Amino acid sequence: MDFSFLPKYYLFFINGVEYTIVLAFFTVIIGFILGLLLSLMRLSKSHILKFIATAYIEFIRGTPILVQLYIVYYGLPHVGVNLPEFSAGVAALSVNSAAYIAEIIRAGIQAVDAGQMEAARSLGMRQSKAMRYVIIPQAVKNILPALGNEFITVIKESSVASIIGIHELMFNADTVRGNTYRPFEPLGIAAVMYFILTFGLSKFLGIFERRMKASD
Amino acid sequence: MIKVKNLHKYFGNLEVLKGVDVEINKGEVVVVIGPSGSGKSTFLRCLNLLEEPTKGEIVFEGISITDKKTDINKLRQKMGMVFQQFNLFPNLSVLDNITLAPRKVKGLSVEEANKIANDLLKRIGLTDKVNNYPKQLSGGQKQRIAIARALAMSPDVMLFDEPTSALDPEMVGEVLDVMKKLALEGMTMVVVTHEMGFAREIADRVLFMDGGYIMEEDTPENIFTNPKNPRTKDFLAKIL
Repeated sequence: MDFSFLPKYYLFFINGVEYTIVLAFFTVIIGFILGLLLSLMRLSKSHILKFIATAYIEFIRGTPILVQLYIVYYGLPHVGVNLPEFSAGVAALSVNSAAYIAEIIRAGIQAVDAGQMEAARSLGMRQSKAMRYVIIPQAVKNILPALGNEFITVIKESSVASIIGIHELMFNADTVRGNTYRPFEPLGIAAVMYFILTFGLSKFLGIFERRMKASD
Repeated sequence: MIKVKNLHKYFGNLEVLKGVDVEINKGEVVVVIGPSGSGKSTFLRCLNLLEEPTKGEIVFEGISITDKKTDINKLRQKMGMVFQQFNLFPNLSVLDNITLAPRKVKGLSVEEANKIANDLLKRIGLTDKVNNYPKQLSGGQKQRIAIARALAMSPDVMLFDEPTSALDPEMVGEVLDVMKKLALEGMTMVVVTHEMGFAREIADRVLFMDGGYIMEEDTPENIFTNPKNPRTKDFLAKIL
């Protein structure tokens, strides 16, 4: 074990972690919005919307994220859509994550007792208002644990974005490996940093969840 | 006020309502009794379109609610509903449970809605629970809040779907008291219930349903002391 490269290269890891966090953050936000939309489409009465959402979810979940990333980064420019690396990374990751989040939200909405919707409708709320003010706030509470797990998954899977040259943690660790000719130490550091991120987040979510439970 | 003509309802192949005709007048308290599976809850739920009738027409205050062009959300504001399982919003305080619809549907200000809620809480005797959550209330208190929530929209008619069936026996009284008060104030009410005492005391008219039909309708005296239909006799003999 030789970590003598660290004084020279430590900034690679710090910047990499920052980039990973920013990448995961945007992915999660966009993935959530897209996922919410998809789940509502999937639950809607319209057969067309339902079909589109179901097809999207099944297809995305049934194909490798690497293929999706390549399609966005290498494929889209051929049809005139040029995204810079970072945007392409966020786009591919959130398109992927949205499919999983959509299923989480759908389960959360369906877990809300049917009587809640009936009560809201009987008061004269239209479907959309009942969803917004009655169903979704309760569903969000149901899905927080599963959503937290999805965020952790996104942090880990964001490492594939290194392949299209986004300077996140994995990319930078690999750069250090190339410069120092030492494979084990830089990758080990990267692994530990990923672990600190995901473990820290899962502990933090655990505290958050307990607080929510206490407020019941 | 409500006219029901030849109402049919199927669930799949099962015909639950087989042609119900009835008229409910303003200020009247109509109690619907009958064995379970007789279609009485389904009948009530058709009145505000929580169940969509398969066939037939329902006219409320001169407007056909079964007409596809009718905005049912507008009409539901005029028809309060109370459920067997209360269906309070567990994530909202008592105050917010009552004020949510007045604010979000009618567009009242927070102050206006709060005033309505506080007046209603006074009427049902639960002012001290204003900031509590449904979880902290007893069944009877929950149902009284649910009644207040429906009343907050100032409906013209109140529909009660077995409002005391999920309650412990000692809590039935407090809910019935609120309903009696409401009836005496002149509210039009349709009540599906197994509380024969309430039917006898408060109802202007009792409908006996069985097998998807209204078998008999009459004043409570006539139904309870001198039922004409043999099925009504059977049913009352079993439960009284």
